[in-house]
Amino acid sequence: MPDDRELGNTRASTQLLTDRIPGQAAVDEMVVSRQSGMLSSDDILVTKPLGALFWFAIGWLGLVVVLAVLAQVLPLPNPNFQNYSAINSPPNIHHLLGTDDLGRDLLSRLIFGARVSLIVGFASVGIGMAIGGTLGLVSGFKGGSLDSMLNAGSFVILAFPAIVAVIAIVAFWGQSLLKITIIIGVGTIPLMFRVVRASSLSFANRDFVIAARTMGAITPRILFREILPNVVPVAVTFGLITVAGVIVLEGSLAFLGLSVALPTPSWGNLIAEGTANGNLSINPYIMLWPAFSMFLLLLSINLIGDRMRLRFDIREGLL
Amino acid sequence: MTKYLIRRFIQLVVVAFIISVLVFLLVHLLPGDPSVTILGPNDTAQNRTILLHQLGLNKPLWNQYTIWLTAVFHGNLGQSYLNHESVTHILATGAPIDIELIVLSQIVAFAVAIPLALVTSRRPNRPLDNVASTGTFGLLAMPPFVIAPIMVAVFAVGLHWFPATGYVPFTKDPAANLHDMVLPALAITAGSIAVYYRLLRSDLISTLQEDFITMARSKGLSNRRIMLRHAFRPSTFSLLAAAGVNIGALLAGTFIVEWLFAISGLGYSLVVSVQQRDYLVVQGISLVVAIAYVFLQFVVDFLFTVVDPRVIRE
Amino acid sequence: MASGNEISRRTFLSRGAVTGGAVVLGAAASTALAGCSTGNSGSSSSTTASGSKPGVGTGTPVRGGSLTVGTVAEIDGFYPPMNHWDTNGYLYANAVYDPLMAVGADGTIKPYLAQSISSNSTYDAWTMTLRPGVKFSDGSALTSAVVKANFDALRGSPLTGTALKQVASVTTPDAMTVVFTLTGPNPTFPAGLTSQVGYVVGEAMIQQASIPGTTPKPVGTGPFIFAEWQPNDHFTATRNPHYWRSGLPYLDQITFKPIPDTVQREATLKTGGVDMIESTDPGTINRFSGQSGYQLVDSRTGVIGEPTTGFIMLNTAVAPTNDLRIRQALAKGLDTAQIQKIFGGGFAKPVNGLFLPGSPYYSKTDYPTYDPAEAKALVNEYKAQHGTPTLQLITITDPRLAQLVQIVQQMWNQVGFDISVKTVQQASIITEFVTGSFQAATSYQFGTVNPDLNYVWWSTTTISPVGGIGLNFTRLDDPQIETAMLAGRAATDQQTRVASYQKVNQRLSQDLPYLWIEQYLFSEVAQNRVQNFNNVTLPDGSPGYSFNEGQFFPTQIWMAG
Repeated sequence: MPDDRELGNTRASTQLLTDRIPGQAAVDEMVVSRQSGMLSSDDILVTKPLGALFWFAIGWLGLVVVLAVLAQVLPLPNPNFQNYSAINSPPNIHHLLGTDDLGRDLLSRLIFGARVSLIVGFASVGIGMAIGGTLGLVSGFKGGSLDSMLNAGSFVILAFPAIVAVIAIVAFWGQSLLKITIIIGVGTIPLMFRVVRASSLSFANRDFVIAARTMGAITPRILFREILPNVVPVAVTFGLITVAGVIVLEGSLAFLGLSVALPTPSWGNLIAEGTANGNLSINPYIMLWPAFSMFLLLLSINLIGDRMRLRFDIREGLL
Repeated sequence: MTKYLIRRFIQLVVVAFIISVLVFLLVHLLPGDPSVTILGPNDTAQNRTILLHQLGLNKPLWNQYTIWLTAVFHGNLGQSYLNHESVTHILATGAPIDIELIVLSQIVAFAVAIPLALVTSRRPNRPLDNVASTGTFGLLAMPPFVIAPIMVAVFAVGLHWFPATGYVPFTKDPAANLHDMVLPALAITAGSIAVYYRLLRSDLISTLQEDFITMARSKGLSNRRIMLRHAFRPSTFSLLAAAGVNIGALLAGTFIVEWLFAISGLGYSLVVSVQQRDYLVVQGISLVVAIAYVFLQFVVDFLFTVVDPRVIRE
Repeated sequence: MASGNEISRRTFLSRGAVTGGAVVLGAAASTALAGCSTGNSGSSSSTTASGSKPGVGTGTPVRGGSLTVGTVAEIDGFYPPMNHWDTNGYLYANAVYDPLMAVGADGTIKPYLAQSISSNSTYDAWTMTLRPGVKFSDGSALTSAVVKANFDALRGSPLTGTALKQVASVTTPDAMTVVFTLTGPNPTFPAGLTSQVGYVVGEAMIQQASIPGTTPKPVGTGPFIFAEWQPNDHFTATRNPHYWRSGLPYLDQITFKPIPDTVQREATLKTGGVDMIESTDPGTINRFSGQSGYQLVDSRTGVIGEPTTGFIMLNTAVAPTNDLRIRQALAKGLDTAQIQKIFGGGFAKPVNGLFLPGSPYYSKTDYPTYDPAEAKALVNEYKAQHGTPTLQLITITDPRLAQLVQIVQQMWNQVGFDISVKTVQQASIITEFVTGSFQAATSYQFGTVNPDLNYVWWSTTTISPVGGIGLNFTRLDDPQIETAMLAGRAATDQQTRVASYQKVNQRLSQDLPYLWIEQYLFSEVAQNRVQNFNNVTLPDGSPGYSFNEGQFFPTQIWMAG
C-alpha cells in the first residue's frame, strides 16, 4: 500500500510514520486530504465560471418549481377531467402534450404531477434532514453511548425490509400526499443521520472546535456556530441527490399502488400508468413526458448539487 | 480482530432479533389475517375460529412469537399457511435468484461505471464527461418498470435475443440460466451504474489533485499506470460504501423486476406473502434479509481494510 | 356455502401485488349443486386468420410432444379439501385428476369418472356407480371407499364442509357404488360434482394431508401424473401411460408457468417461451384478434349458465348506500356503454343482470339505464335531507381496475356525489367484504353453470350485522330473493327453475346491491401448432363444455409437427 500511494508525500503519512495508532492516522488522513482538496477546488472555482449547463439546470428547476406552484392559476384544463372523445390523442393544438388513456390532458397532469413529485421529494427529504440531520449533528459531536444507540437504531431501520414497512404503514394509515411524504421522509432519516453524523464526527476534533471548547464555549454554541456551518454543505448536497432518488422511489410505490390516491397525478404514477395496460406501445407519450421531465430535473438537481459540492468540496465518500 | 468479529456477531444477533420482533408485530397488526386468504369465500365466523385454532393464531401474540423463535433456534422457520411450502425451501429456491440478480447487475454496473469514471475523471467537464454524466442521469430517471418493458419489446419480442420471461436454475443449465437473467439483471443495473459512476468519478477527481499523484506524474509515469495503480484504489471508499447501501436495498427489494419477469425470488415472495398475511414466510424472509444486510456491511467493512489496510474501522 | 363462487379470484388467490388479472374460483362445491342449466351452447366463435375454428384440431392427432401454458396466477395447492381452485386450480386439476361429473356442450351434466348417477323420486338420495378398472397414479384402484374417504375429508374441512352441508351421509353399499343421502331434495346435485368437490384424489394423498404441516403430493386418476411443482415458477406433469381413457392423452408432458403481468405473458408467447397463454384482460383479445400464427378463444360467446361479471358492489347496510335512492342515483349515473368502450376495449358484453342474452334464464329486467338528469335529481333529493352524499370506492391494486375506478369516480362526481377512491390489498378487501365495512367496491364473480351456486351471496341467512362476518357482503335483506333461490333449487322442471332465477335477477335489478359493469372476459391464445385445446369429448363420446371461462381439459390436446 505505501508504495502505491507514495505516502511520503502527504502530511498524514508523515504523521503515520510516528503514529502508534494506525486507525486514527487513517481518519486524520482522510480529514487532511479532504482539507487539501477543498483548497484546490476552491481555487478552481474562484476563476471558473459556472457554465451554461449550470444556468440551464437552474432554469429548468426554476421553471418546474414555478409551474408547480402556479399550477392552479395557470390556464390549464382540470388534470383529472376525462374527455372520452379525446382518448390517447397525440400532441395537438388542444392538448399540447396529448392525452392519456382516459382522455386527460397530459400537460396539465404533468404540471400538477410536478407539484406532487416536488412536494414528496423536497418535503420528505426535509423531514429526514430535520430529524436525521439534527440527530446526526449531535450524535457525531457528542459520541458516547448516545451515538452508539442512534447508530444502532439507524442500522436497524436500514436493515429492515423496506417494502414490508411501506405496505404495512400504507395499509394502516392510508395514502394521502401528506402520509406518503411522511413515510418516505421517515425512511430517509437514517440516511441523513449517517451522512451528517460522519461529517459532524470529522469536524468534532478539528482544531477550531477544540479551540472553541478550550475557550469554554458551551456545547450548543459550538454545535451551531462551529460545526453546523461546516456540515450544511454536505447535508444540502446529499439532500439534493436524495430528492432525485425519492422522486423515482415515489414512482416505484405508484407502480405497486402504494402511492398517492387516484386520480391525483404524480410523475411517478404517470410513468406507472404509461407502462401499464400495454400503454407503452399504444401511447408512449404518457410515459415519455414525465420520464423526460424527471430526467431533466434529476440532471438539473445533480448538476446544481455537483457545482455546490465543487464550491464546498464535499467528498461524496462522506455520503 | 477477534474482538472486532465478536462485536460484529453481537451486532448481527441484536439487529436480527429487533427486526424479527418488529416484523412480527407489524404483520400481525395488519388488517386481515391468513384465515381470510385461506378461507376466501368460506370465511364464516365459525370456520375462521376453527382455522385460527388450527394455525395456532388464536394464542396471545407474545406466545406466538416465542413459539416461532424457539422453532427458529431449532432451525425450523415454519411453512406457508397457504401452500404449505416450507420457508426454508422458499429461501433455498428464492435466495439464489436474488443473489444472482444482484451479482450480475453489480458486475455490469461496476464494469460500466469504473472504466467510464477512470476515463472521464481525467478531464472533468469536457464533452466526454458531460455525455457520460448526462447519460447516467438518464439511467437514473428510468426506473426498472420503465426499462424492463422497453428492453423486452426490443430485445425479446423484436430481436429474439433473450426470452421475455422465465427462469432456469443455474445448477440445472448455466447457459440457459444466464440467458434468462440478462434482461432482469440489466433492468436493475441502470440505477447502480449512475450512482457508482458519479461517486467514483468525483472521488477520482479529488484524488488526482493530491500530492502523491503530482509526484507520480513528475516521475514520468504513464497516465494509465497512474490511474490504475495510484489513483484508483484510494478512490474507492465511496464506491464501496454506496455499493453496500445499494446492494442492501436490493436484498429482497427487486420485486418489480421479479414480478415482470415472472421469477419468484425473495422479493416476489416477500411482497406476495405480506399481502396475503402469510406471516411465517414474511418473518422468515425478513429475518434472512436482515442478517444478510448485517453480513453485507461486514463485507464492505472488510473491503475497506483491503483497499487501505490502515483502516480498522471503529 | 359454495367455495365455488366467483368472488374476485384476484382478491382471493392471485399472488401478485399488481396482478394484471387473476382467476375466478370456478364453479366449485355448493350446497345445492343444481344442474341442467342449458345455456347458449357451443364454443367460441372467433376464428383464426386461416379460417379454421380456433382450438379445434384438424388432421390426425399426434402422440408426444410437450405443451407449456402461461397462466395468470399461481394456485395455493392441489388438495380439494384444503385449497381454493380458481381457473388455474381447475387447469392443474384437469391434468392430474378427473372430476366425477362434467358439463356437456349443451349444459347437461354428464358422468366422467363416475359411470352413472341417478336419484330417487324425491331427489334426496343419489346413487353413483363408479367407472371400473380405473387406477390412481400410485397404482391403487378407484373404489367407493376412496370416494367416501374424499367426501369425509371434504365435509370435515372448514373450506369445503359448509359447501356439502346438504349431504347428510355418504355410504358404500358395494365396492363400486356410492350413495349420497341429502338433507333435502336437490334435483341438480350432480352439477356440484363437476366442481372442486367432485375431483377424486387417491387415499395416499388424503392420509398424507392428515399429517399437519405437510404438502400432500397429488395422487390422481388423471391423464397426467404430477412431476414437480415449484410455486410461482412452474408445475409439470407427465403422461399417464395407464390412463383409463384409452389412447389418451396425446401429449407426453404439460407445464404451467404463472406469468402475472399480461403484457409480459403475451411477450413470452410471442417469443416462444410458452405455447399458449391465458388472459383475463380484454386487451389480449384486441391484440391477438386476426393475428396469423395464433389461435384465439374467448368467452364472448359460449358461456353456459351465468357468466362471470364485473360490477360495483354497494353495501346496503351502511350510509349512504343503504338508501335505495342513492343506489338508484349511482346506477343511473353510470354510463356503462362508455365504460365498456374504454375499460373493456369494446369487447365485453353489456349486462343488465346475471344472465347474457341467449341464456334460457335471460330476461329483460328493470335495471336502470344511464340517466344523469334523473341521477342528479335523486342526489338533490337526498342532499336536501342529509347533505352531499360522500362515498368511498375501494378497489385493489391493478392497473385495469385503476382505470375503472377513475372513470366511475368522474361519472358519479358529475351527478353530485363526492367520491374518494382507496386502493387496498387483497387480504384487506376480503375483510372489508365479509365484515361489511365498505361502502362501494369493485369486484367480479357469479360465473357458474348453475345459478344455485350463488345462493350464499344473496341469502338472508348469511347476513351479519356490520362488523360481523357474513357472506352476504352487500347485506341485502330481500326475502323474495331467498324464496326464489330456494324455489330454484328445489325445482324439478326447467320452467320453474327459469322463473325462479328470472325473479332473482329482477329483484337484484330493483334492489341494486350490484351495479353491473360488463361481462368479465376470459381468453386463451395459442400458437397454431397447439391443436384441439378447445374441443373436449366426454367419455361417452359427446362433446363437452370446452372453454368453461378459461378452464379446459388438456387430455385431447396434441402438438402439430
